[in-house]
Amino acid sequence: MLPDIALLFIVLAPGLAALIAGLFQKYVTDTGAMVITTGTVGLAGILSVIQLFMYAFGGGVAEAVHTAAPAAGEHGAAMVAPIQHIITLMTWMDVGQFQADWAIRVDAMSIVMMAVITGVSGLVHLYSWGYMSEDPHRARFFAYLSLFTFMMLMLVTADNFIQLFFGWEGVGLASYLLIGFWYTRDAPNAAAIKAFVTNRVGDFGLALGIMAVFVVFGSVEFEPVLTAIRENATVTPLALAEAAPIHDLVIPFLAWNVPALEVMGVLLFIGAMGKSAQFFLHVWLPDAMEGPTPVSALIHAATMVTAGVYLVCLVSPIYEYAPFAAGMVTLIGAVTALYAATVGMAQNDIKRVIAYSTCSQLGYMFFAAGVGAYQAAMFHLFTHAFFKALLFLGAGSVIHGMHHEQDMRRMGGVAKFMPLTYAAMMIGTIAIIGLGIPHTSLGFAGFFSKDAILETAFAAGEAGVTFGMMAFIFGIVAALLTSFYSWRLIYMTFHGPREDSIPPETPEFDSHADEHLSVDEHGHHHHDEDPHESPLVMLIPLGLLSLGAIFAGFLFYDPMVGHDQGAFWAGAIYTATDNTLLADKYNVPGWVFWAPLFVTVTGFLIATFTYLFNRGFGAKIAASGGPLHSLFANKWYFDEIYNATFVKATYWLGGFFWKTGDKRIIDGLGPDGVTSLVRWGSRRLSAMHTGYLYHYAFVIIGAALVFGAVIFWRVGGAG
Amino acid sequence: MGNFPILTAVTFLPLAGALLIMLVQTATGKSGDDAERGRQSLMAGLIFSAATFLASLVMLVSFEVDAPGYQLVEEVSWFAGVQYKLGIDGMSLLLILLTTLLTPISLIASFGSVKERVTEYTIAFLVLETFMIGVFCALDMVLFYVFFEAGLIPMFIIIGVWGGAERIYASFKFFLYTLLGSLFMLAAIVFMYMQAGTSDITQLANYAFAPEVQTWLWLAFFASFAVKLPMWPVHTWLPDAHVQAPTAGSVILAGILLKMGGYGFLRFSLPMFPDASQFFQPMMFALSVIAIVYASLVAFRQTDMKKLIAYSSVAHMGFVTLGIFSFTEVGVQGAIFQMISHGLISGALFLIVGVVYDRTHTREIAAYGGLVNKMPVYAAIFMLFSMANVGLPGTSGFVGEILTMTGTFQASTWAAAGAALGVIFSAVYMLTLYRRTVFGEVTNPALETIQDVTLKELITLVPLLIGTVLLGIMPNIIFDVTRETSLRALQMITGG
Repeated sequence: MLPDIALLFIVLAPGLAALIAGLFQKYVTDTGAMVITTGTVGLAGILSVIQLFMYAFGGGVAEAVHTAAPAAGEHGAAMVAPIQHIITLMTWMDVGQFQADWAIRVDAMSIVMMAVITGVSGLVHLYSWGYMSEDPHRARFFAYLSLFTFMMLMLVTADNFIQLFFGWEGVGLASYLLIGFWYTRDAPNAAAIKAFVTNRVGDFGLALGIMAVFVVFGSVEFEPVLTAIRENATVTPLALAEAAPIHDLVIPFLAWNVPALEVMGVLLFIGAMGKSAQFFLHVWLPDAMEGPTPVSALIHAATMVTAGVYLVCLVSPIYEYAPFAAGMVTLIGAVTALYAATVGMAQNDIKRVIAYSTCSQLGYMFFAAGVGAYQAAMFHLFTHAFFKALLFLGAGSVIHGMHHEQDMRRMGGVAKFMPLTYAAMMIGTIAIIGLGIPHTSLGFAGFFSKDAILETAFAAGEAGVTFGMMAFIFGIVAALLTSFYSWRLIYMTFHGPREDSIPPETPEFDSHADEHLSVDEHGHHHHDEDPHESPLVMLIPLGLLSLGAIFAGFLFYDPMVGHDQGAFWAGAIYTATDNTLLADKYNVPGWVFWAPLFVTVTGFLIATFTYLFNRGFGAKIAASGGPLHSLFANKWYFDEIYNATFVKATYWLGGFFWKTGDKRIIDGLGPDGVTSLVRWGSRRLSAMHTGYLYHYAFVIIGAALVFGAVIFWRVGGAG
Repeated sequence: MGNFPILTAVTFLPLAGALLIMLVQTATGKSGDDAERGRQSLMAGLIFSAATFLASLVMLVSFEVDAPGYQLVEEVSWFAGVQYKLGIDGMSLLLILLTTLLTPISLIASFGSVKERVTEYTIAFLVLETFMIGVFCALDMVLFYVFFEAGLIPMFIIIGVWGGAERIYASFKFFLYTLLGSLFMLAAIVFMYMQAGTSDITQLANYAFAPEVQTWLWLAFFASFAVKLPMWPVHTWLPDAHVQAPTAGSVILAGILLKMGGYGFLRFSLPMFPDASQFFQPMMFALSVIAIVYASLVAFRQTDMKKLIAYSSVAHMGFVTLGIFSFTEVGVQGAIFQMISHGLISGALFLIVGVVYDRTHTREIAAYGGLVNKMPVYAAIFMLFSMANVGLPGTSGFVGEILTMTGTFQASTWAAAGAALGVIFSAVYMLTLYRRTVFGEVTNPALETIQDVTLKELITLVPLLIGTVLLGIMPNIIFDVTRETSLRALQMITGG
């Protein structure tokens, strides 16, 4: 690990840079803001990557092995307390047992995450110099990017659930601000709110999960909580239940009596579902593509959306002893992997294809974690960050070169204008489809991590882990679809003739073009011109990410999921003693190793046949309007269903409570009712035409009666 | 400070100012320009409320955080065993500071925005300030009641005279509700005095009322505090009062007056009627959760900015009652914190509405849109307070919500889950409001020439902004002060 001063710099400096760029943009100017943020995050990125390499190859692991020696062995590290380094900055909340600090906690997981976050973020900062060069609000953009980086770092270096929640919602805020970056347009605004609110639905679960943790353990800090679960300590909940060993502790939750760990596991996972766009709560991610493309690469592909996976792996002790919750993780992950892949096949917006692909890949990570192969999940998170950021930035390069065109139907033949971007996209594609030769070290990053997931899922299925075999099958089918939609993207965009003559199909795209006028001084007459290759500041990030997409898997296979994994993770990920998936994955039947390659090649062949050799075949399928295609193209109608149910219900209930509840019932029976009763009474009195005298008399008599009654009652009471 | 009666000084300094302004303005007669004279009154009022703020800082310095019980106590016999007794604990201290902070801010916000009868307006505010401070430091039940009720009158006048078009309806509704509630409280106070033979709050807190008596007394106090807070279903006066009140009136109403309800529960209901409090816990949970969910949904449908924020206040005060009636340290600390935090945030949000209202004279959400293009600084401040209102971690809004919910979770997972729903809905209505007013293109031609926030407006907003962020990051500065209060409020219930 790096010295404290460097760790402090990595985590805090991006936040400071964001503040300076955001608050003092008038004084530092756009360029100043860009230099400050990019410089800071870039330096943090370099430091973090050095830290990762030092840790993995330069003695960090060796040191860990040494420390872990007493319990050595393939999975011996499981029983060792995590090796971590905590810098406590200050107390945040100190209320009774509710203690949370502002802290920077570094362990193997956060070392990996820090490298991914600051590495990709630094490159995205740099890339944005080119991509956002014509935007009038660059200072604001860079301030948001750095703010996001800071929040994400706070999330992965928290030493308690509350700081994690701070980062969690903080990245949500940054995501909201960046999706809605072009705030004068409607679509980004709507997408930003949708993202924030959907995430809040997840946070509903996360917050309750944290409360459950606190009530059961009397602490919100990772160390005591996770240690208690690892050691099956006897805990005395603050309320709800009697003391019991934590693995057996049952607490009442709503109408049920359920094991405490299951409650926490399910609730925390609901939070993860929101942040990581898993089935049911995935609807915001495709819409989030309204944000500038560098944002999509950083937040909605490489880092923020993986926070859910990080959370599940972080609290691995919970899921190790909560089979139901783990089963739910597996199920939702597997379904998402397949679902998103089906939708990705039928999208025409280049960014949406990649967005669904992200969704699908996150599904892989989740089912890996669900079956118990957290290391494989983290490994895939790691490699995915490179190739998915690469794909997004490549797509951004195309969009930039095509003057803000995003519809693949209006692309084609771009390869010859943008050869370097084309090469980068090819590398990203080969990495994501996981091309590689089993039993060798020949393959791109995705090959190592995806195959590790599929093999462990199969091993888990064999071992009888809930939904393990289903996850394997879904994963294999999704791999076929992944290969198909990835090559479809390549062919539609880069190959064949240019097809810019096709008019925009939906008004949505029209509005894109118009709205970009405000940010793009050239306007959309540029559509008629040829695409151009992107500037160097955009190509350098593509180049560096390409290196990651090629080599990250090969380099880190052994430390992360191979023979050194116990020493590498050093207890940051916990696996129960009977969980031997990472070892078992070497012993699965031979065909399991070859199945991914087989389906990948099949997907490639189908895509090549339909989109390269028979261009137009795909369009014909789309035009035929078959039910399956409609289902996929319309994202299984999730938006429509949610609009018809949740959105409508909220709207209707709000109106009902307001107009009927407040106005008619409460006010009607309350103040307005009293008022009108008095009015009605006085009108009746006036109708009698008895004049003021009568009124006075009435009041006097009435008052006398009331007083008399009171006195009578008092006397009676006394007697 | 020796024996200097600092609490009396803080309490009555504004009233003295009001009297002085009244005398000077009467003495100088009708001479001079009305507007100029009004401005002078307002300035004088500002000076007095600022002096009060400084005096309250002296009080803060004299306060010993770790000392048990009430401090700076002043005691003078009044009549028939009733005492003029003042004293503060951590909770009182913070609420007084909030009052002395928000009053000058309100007066600054009134410059240029209130144009009629400015002298009377200033006087009303100063008188109100005295009564509010009095409520928070009275240690005698009768004295408390006098301050509690007297505070109604200036607020009633502020809404009724300087309010909007339907101010009469709103002020009557406000008066009717709160008065109805306090009549029950008065009856209870008289009864308690007769039975316990004292009206001293510190002694009553140790007096054990019979359980069946507690139930009735609890209900009587509940009637008053529930209206003040306000809890569902006696909340409907609040949106009307806010919509009609001038900006400064709304700031004080949301910032301070609503807190008297929560203060009352902690000062009276919990320590004096512990059995009844426990008996009514399920009802309080139910009403609080309904308030949170119901008011949030209603807020979502509002077309008037102030009404939306008023309903959001109802929802946020639901967290206060949840926390208090969780009977846990975490919950009660969270509730007190939430009161302070809501005072800052809702005060700021009403000021924010006031900024654009002063320029365009409409509160209709539909009349806005695209403000960010014309008022970037305004947009940034509004964003920060919107996020604080939805409880984003790092702002004070989060701390209160998470702690009250956590405390509630210990008592009822149902209530905690219901309250957590409010966290979703608050995002819905607040972001929708923000989107409709601030984002988008400018479509209303009236907004073409709108000016960004002025220095005066910044002076009112920045202290609240600093407070919101500071308390979000270092909430312990509050918890250290309120720890003793919370534990003492719970003493009778958790068995101490």
